[in-house]
Amino acid sequence: MQIEAGKPLRRRTILLGSFGAGAAGVLGPGSRRAFAAGISLLETGSTLLYPLFNLWVPKYTASNPGVRITTQGTGSGTGIAQTLSGVAQIGASDAYMSDPQVKQHPDILNIPLAISAQTVNYNVPGFNGTNLKLSGPVLAGIYSGRITHWNDPAIGKLNPGARLAAHVITPVHRTDGSGDTFIFTQYLAASTPEWAGSVGYGTTISWPPVAGGIGAIGNPGMVQASGQTPYAIAYIGVSFHNEIAKAGLGTAMLQNRDGNFVLPTPKTVGAAAAAVQDKTPPDQRISLIFAPGPDSYPIINYEYAIVNRRQPNETIAAAVRNFLAWAIDPEGGSAAGFLDAVQFLPLPPKIAALSKRQIAKIGA
Amino acid sequence: MRTSPFRVGLIGLSGAVPGILVAVVLFLAIYSWPAIRFNGLSFLVGKTWNLGNLYASPVTVGGFQVPHGAEYGILVFIVGTLATSAIALMIAVPVSLGVAIFLAEGVPERFRPGLSLIVELLAVVPSVVYGLWGVTVLAPLIAHVVAPAFNDVLGFIPFFAGGSATGFGLLTASLVLTLMVVPIITATIYSALRQVADSDKEAAYALGALKFEMATRAMLPAVRGSIVGAVILGLGRALGETMAVLMVSGGAINYLPTTLMSPISTMAAFIVSQLDSAEQDPTGMAVRSLAEIALVLFVITVIVNAAARLITRGLHVGLASRG
Repeated sequence: MQIEAGKPLRRRTILLGSFGAGAAGVLGPGSRRAFAAGISLLETGSTLLYPLFNLWVPKYTASNPGVRITTQGTGSGTGIAQTLSGVAQIGASDAYMSDPQVKQHPDILNIPLAISAQTVNYNVPGFNGTNLKLSGPVLAGIYSGRITHWNDPAIGKLNPGARLAAHVITPVHRTDGSGDTFIFTQYLAASTPEWAGSVGYGTTISWPPVAGGIGAIGNPGMVQASGQTPYAIAYIGVSFHNEIAKAGLGTAMLQNRDGNFVLPTPKTVGAAAAAVQDKTPPDQRISLIFAPGPDSYPIINYEYAIVNRRQPNETIAAAVRNFLAWAIDPEGGSAAGFLDAVQFLPLPPKIAALSKRQIAKIGA
Repeated sequence: MRTSPFRVGLIGLSGAVPGILVAVVLFLAIYSWPAIRFNGLSFLVGKTWNLGNLYASPVTVGGFQVPHGAEYGILVFIVGTLATSAIALMIAVPVSLGVAIFLAEGVPERFRPGLSLIVELLAVVPSVVYGLWGVTVLAPLIAHVVAPAFNDVLGFIPFFAGGSATGFGLLTASLVLTLMVVPIITATIYSALRQVADSDKEAAYALGALKFEMATRAMLPAVRGSIVGAVILGLGRALGETMAVLMVSGGAINYLPTTLMSPISTMAAFIVSQLDSAEQDPTGMAVRSLAEIALVLFVITVIVNAAARLITRGLHVGLASRG
């Protein structure tokens, strides 16, 4: 199987090379390394992590003038793929790599840097100031076309006081590959057996046809589409909380595994992380979705750096190790000043220790 | 015969253009070959696109390693591509003809350079700008004004009924495409009209033709070939446009449009939107199937081009036999 798998991969690298030429040609690490005395690293991938890297890099390079780091928001899948092909030294991803992928590429590490969460937002005139209560099965019903109106009894049962009118729901999903789609559909799959059996989860899924449902590009597109469409519903990364507020969208309280309805706050996200941290394996690939506990917020995830443990030389390996170690350091990149801006939480000490152990594996 | 370096260089350069084209087609064909064999004909007629469960172990289907549940059918995207391009051209061609004739004959000489410059500038606006305008201005307008009006006035025609909640869909994508192809078609026809011999125009006037009659009976027939060529250029842009369509199409997957307001996807936009996730497919079948879409898009473009060339030749033959 290894031989069979190796062949298409080499061809894929060629294909990627041509894409990479466009994306990284100008600022590519290879070309720059030849001219500059210092080291350049390329970070590419998750658009959710991109704002954080843009806060990190200027601060870090100011105190480490020998290193230049280029950042790109290209999508989690591209982040993983360009790390596999060696174009990028650090791939940013909201999703961890799958078992088959890890089997093919045993040298690739999945290193959590921070904890993120996702909100479910809606645009129901008159109710955007209140937090409607929604559950996984109800959301699965909306996104599979079984629940089509806001006055559906299933929604009414969760919100006894609210008198929602008979308007058609417009579910908005991501058209592009997205870590947000990954964690949202994991929540639906974990809470709703029918969804798990039929649609499943992934960074892109085969959305059931829903009359009136639409796709949007990126988190900004999700905010825009739901903001200008009354009676729409969308899932949006928590780092877009400012844009969500500006668009005047309502934020849903989501039902967790214990049956309670919770909003994403440092307390509920932290509770969920604490509930699953002991289950985190040494390679740190784990879903934090639908964690047990009365206060746990159901849609949280590790934000990953995807890194090859075999770098081209020891100098580059040391630069990658240093940067990542700084990124998860509570005195460095995981200080409140950085993470609060994007509403991420720092890794719990236990998880940070696991990440540190993985970072130490990066070599030449 | 001596072969000078100049001559060899010229031959090399002129050979490079078809060479690159052949190389691209060959690459697409070879790269997507496993997908072509795996998908068979259901690729073109299937309505379901599903990358499968990328997080489970791949399964073997018909001798191919694919993710569990993988299914690649692109009928929805073929329909979306052809429908948006067709609607865009239906609106753009008459408009462009009118603008080109107006620029060539209806405008005083001193305003002409300025106006034609504006048309040419419109042709080089990056598509993402049109897309942004489509998202922020056109989509709300369609949702709140155009769609309800269509439903009330033309609702008895099935394709116009139903309204639209979001404004993202077939009509919006087609209108954005229209805006993008009008400048190209106009500029091409306009420069052809400028080449029409004065003697032809004067002959028409001498026969008592009015300005309008002169333009439609003397000028337009003289540039028939150029008009077809201009439409082909516009169609090429419409078929291949990616970013602007991606932003306003609503990203339909797994269902065909039922009204003018339905969300759709086009082949080019779909390739872009899926590539990121497809790269996570450990079997590689997803990326190969995307390459197969590119190949189909290429074949459609060639067919459309060849058909247009046949039409133009038919026109020339027709003119010759009449003359």
